[in-house]
Amino acid sequence: MQQIAAIIGLTWKAAFRYRLFWVIVTLLLGAVVGLPLLIKHDGTAEGFAQILITYTLGSVTALLGLCTLWLACGTLARDIEECQLQMVLVKPVARWQVWLGKWLGLVTLNAALLAVAGASIYCVIEWRARGLAPDQLFTLRNQVLAARDSAKPENVDQAIETETRRRLQELISQQKLGGSKPEAVADSIRDELKNEVQLVGPDGFHPWLIHVGASRGQLKGQPLYLRVKFNTSAANASGTFYADWLVRNPETGDAWPHEQMSLAPDTVHEFAVPADYVDDKGDILIYFHNPNKASMLFPLADGMEVLYRVGGFAPNLARGLGIILCWMALLAALGLAAASFLSFPVAAFCSLAILTMGLSSGTLSNVVSEGTVMGTNPETGAKTSQTVDNVMVPVFRAILHVINVVQQFSPVDSLSTGRNVSWKELGLATAEIVLLLGGILGIFGIFVFHRRELAAVAVTH
Amino acid sequence: MIAAESDPQSPATEPKSREVVVAVRGLTKVFKDFWGRAKARAVDNVDFEVRRGEVFGLLGPNGSGKSTTIKMLLGLLYPTKGHIEVFNHSPRHVATKSRIGYLPEESYLYRYLNSYETLDFFGNLFRLPGGERKQRAEQLLEMVGLNQTRTRAVGEFSKGMQRRIGLAQALVNDPDLVILDEPTSGLDPLGCREVKDLIRALAQRGKTVILSSHLLTDVEDVCDRVVIYYGGRIQAMGTLKELLAKPDVVRITTPVLARETMERVLELIRKDVDGQKVKIDNPTQNLESYFLDVVERAREAAKETSGALSGHRVAAYLRGETPAPVNSENLLERLTAPQTPAAPAPAPKPVETVDSKKLAALAQPTTPAAPAVPPASPGPNDAQAGADLEKANEKLSSLLGKPK
Repeated sequence: MQQIAAIIGLTWKAAFRYRLFWVIVTLLLGAVVGLPLLIKHDGTAEGFAQILITYTLGSVTALLGLCTLWLACGTLARDIEECQLQMVLVKPVARWQVWLGKWLGLVTLNAALLAVAGASIYCVIEWRARGLAPDQLFTLRNQVLAARDSAKPENVDQAIETETRRRLQELISQQKLGGSKPEAVADSIRDELKNEVQLVGPDGFHPWLIHVGASRGQLKGQPLYLRVKFNTSAANASGTFYADWLVRNPETGDAWPHEQMSLAPDTVHEFAVPADYVDDKGDILIYFHNPNKASMLFPLADGMEVLYRVGGFAPNLARGLGIILCWMALLAALGLAAASFLSFPVAAFCSLAILTMGLSSGTLSNVVSEGTVMGTNPETGAKTSQTVDNVMVPVFRAILHVINVVQQFSPVDSLSTGRNVSWKELGLATAEIVLLLGGILGIFGIFVFHRRELAAVAVTH
Repeated sequence: MIAAESDPQSPATEPKSREVVVAVRGLTKVFKDFWGRAKARAVDNVDFEVRRGEVFGLLGPNGSGKSTTIKMLLGLLYPTKGHIEVFNHSPRHVATKSRIGYLPEESYLYRYLNSYETLDFFGNLFRLPGGERKQRAEQLLEMVGLNQTRTRAVGEFSKGMQRRIGLAQALVNDPDLVILDEPTSGLDPLGCREVKDLIRALAQRGKTVILSSHLLTDVEDVCDRVVIYYGGRIQAMGTLKELLAKPDVVRITTPVLARETMERVLELIRKDVDGQKVKIDNPTQNLESYFLDVVERAREAAKETSGALSGHRVAAYLRGETPAPVNSENLLERLTAPQTPAAPAPAPKPVETVDSKKLAALAQPTTPAAPAVPPASPGPNDAQAGADLEKANEKLSSLLGKPK
């Protein structure tokens, strides 16, 4: 451990004495303090959160990510190229200890920088929030600067699938397919069933029973927040649609009607309702009445959600930064793994290329969903190059799977919308991003580093 | 000066122990290109053994395979063929490395660490406890004369100072095997002598030293046994006595004799040996001894230099003593005290055959040649001598290197 600690200390010293580090620190401070001063928000809590949390944390993540990759490649590759590592490895230090020491050095350095950035963001938010109007400040404190868990209606995907199969079988047994392919008929049935669940016709009602669950004890005296989003089948002149809401305690039947609202489609709306309407089992009933002439569709994924406060902003920010640290740990492992067998410029180039590929997951996603890299012939509908697709699509699918492991965590979005970044989420991020993906890169990096003839660099130069 | 506690001894001519520290058999190293094609055969089927307490020299011109051999001994390069054992283990055995100290041919130290941080860092790699690490760092910095530049980054050091701190880090673990690759490269003559004294001191303590150099005097001064490389192969190997002795020639050294005595002696010799084969001259000391003598006198006249100070005693733990706490007064005393003059290494050097004129000159009572630098503390009337001393001091300052 003493040896690893010495290498961690050396990595810190190396970072401090590189100019790049100080450039990054200056940019970080610029992002955290300067950016909110330069960009004016629109005076709303949401606009305030967008600039002070999304932009600043996004900038911090991007800057630290690039800095981490660069330092990770440099700290190992340059030590090898400049032969300093020869002096280290003729001492009783195993190569895995050197690799691990450098990785831990970068991770602890990132942790320190994130702590400074987080503290600065927190202070800037508190300072700038004083300029908001009282109602917006109230919204900010309750809906953004908070850690809120969410509850959604029960997932009905399985039920829809079961019902789809049942109806399909029924049609098949009655020989009513009419020459159509069974899968096409199934898709049609599935869409129909989804519409039944999502769609609220003119003057129609829609109930949602939401289980808030174990958190009921924490809700006494606190408001709940309904977060809704809908689409419409037709547009109207005003661009908004009326909505009537009623919240009911399923046990006692007590009801709380909300005054009619005018809401824009395809937009997330959030409003408070009293928590007293959650019953002893932790359930709450929400009714919606569509007073418009157009149908309204509440998507299953994010059409209806109930949010409730479970903690404060500061610990939530700390956990969010913890997930960002997991990303940095993965980037450090990526840079070190590349530098274990490549020269500094090549390692930096490859690492940045992989990072760019990770950020452009949309393209990969399209390829996987379309099942082709080279595209299809518009006339025949056949794939242009079946061979390439046979190789590349599975590769892209595997890469996308890895990227999804990392991208499933979105602390910046969660923090800017006041959602709780739970300890479980942080633990999962640590396990999947750091231990699993970082571990794979670490094992690969240490393996190739162990096999490398370090003095061959100097000799061949 | 780095000076062993006891008088330096001439290198032993026989291996001091039978315990094999390093064993190399059939060692071959072929460097390959990216495609795996052989590019250069740096070491070719080399065999040798190094025993405990030996000072073993690897001699050879540049590119002959010395450094490649050393890097394979250290596990930094892997042999293409052959077998290496260091303390009965593979060179890549991690625990064995705690017994090895290594000074590379160039300064491969972290440029952003200062000299104290450098020693502390390497001490940590040997898992030395904090107190011991600090004490050793202090002693080593004093030994290599870098005590006053301890907070300067190593990257700002002159080459000679970098060699000194490199040497210090090689000894931080009190190693049983010290591998020195061109240890005197970049050092001034004073530093060279200090390194050689240190090597002798280490050997006296039973340490094994492997020394690679293309400077023949370095090797000749300290090594017990040598191998001579050329083209990656061993061309010669043995003790210096075996390699250098001329069994069919004899040399007699006496004080100056009267002309008559000398003629009688020569006459006796000429009865048995052809006159052309008899050589007679004054023995001369070598340039290194003469230079050190001059420096010694200059130091007494001006005790400060802007570069690395000449080293002091070998660190207590390297002498095998229990280290005493560093006492600043004692240290100051040692720093300023006149040093023991370096042991001259007079080597009679037959250069000419006998002729009668020379014989007459030799028979005259010898007057010592005027030294380039006058003796220390010149008298107030000796203005010329003072000016000479000034010049010598300037030269020495530049030779010893100034801190940047």
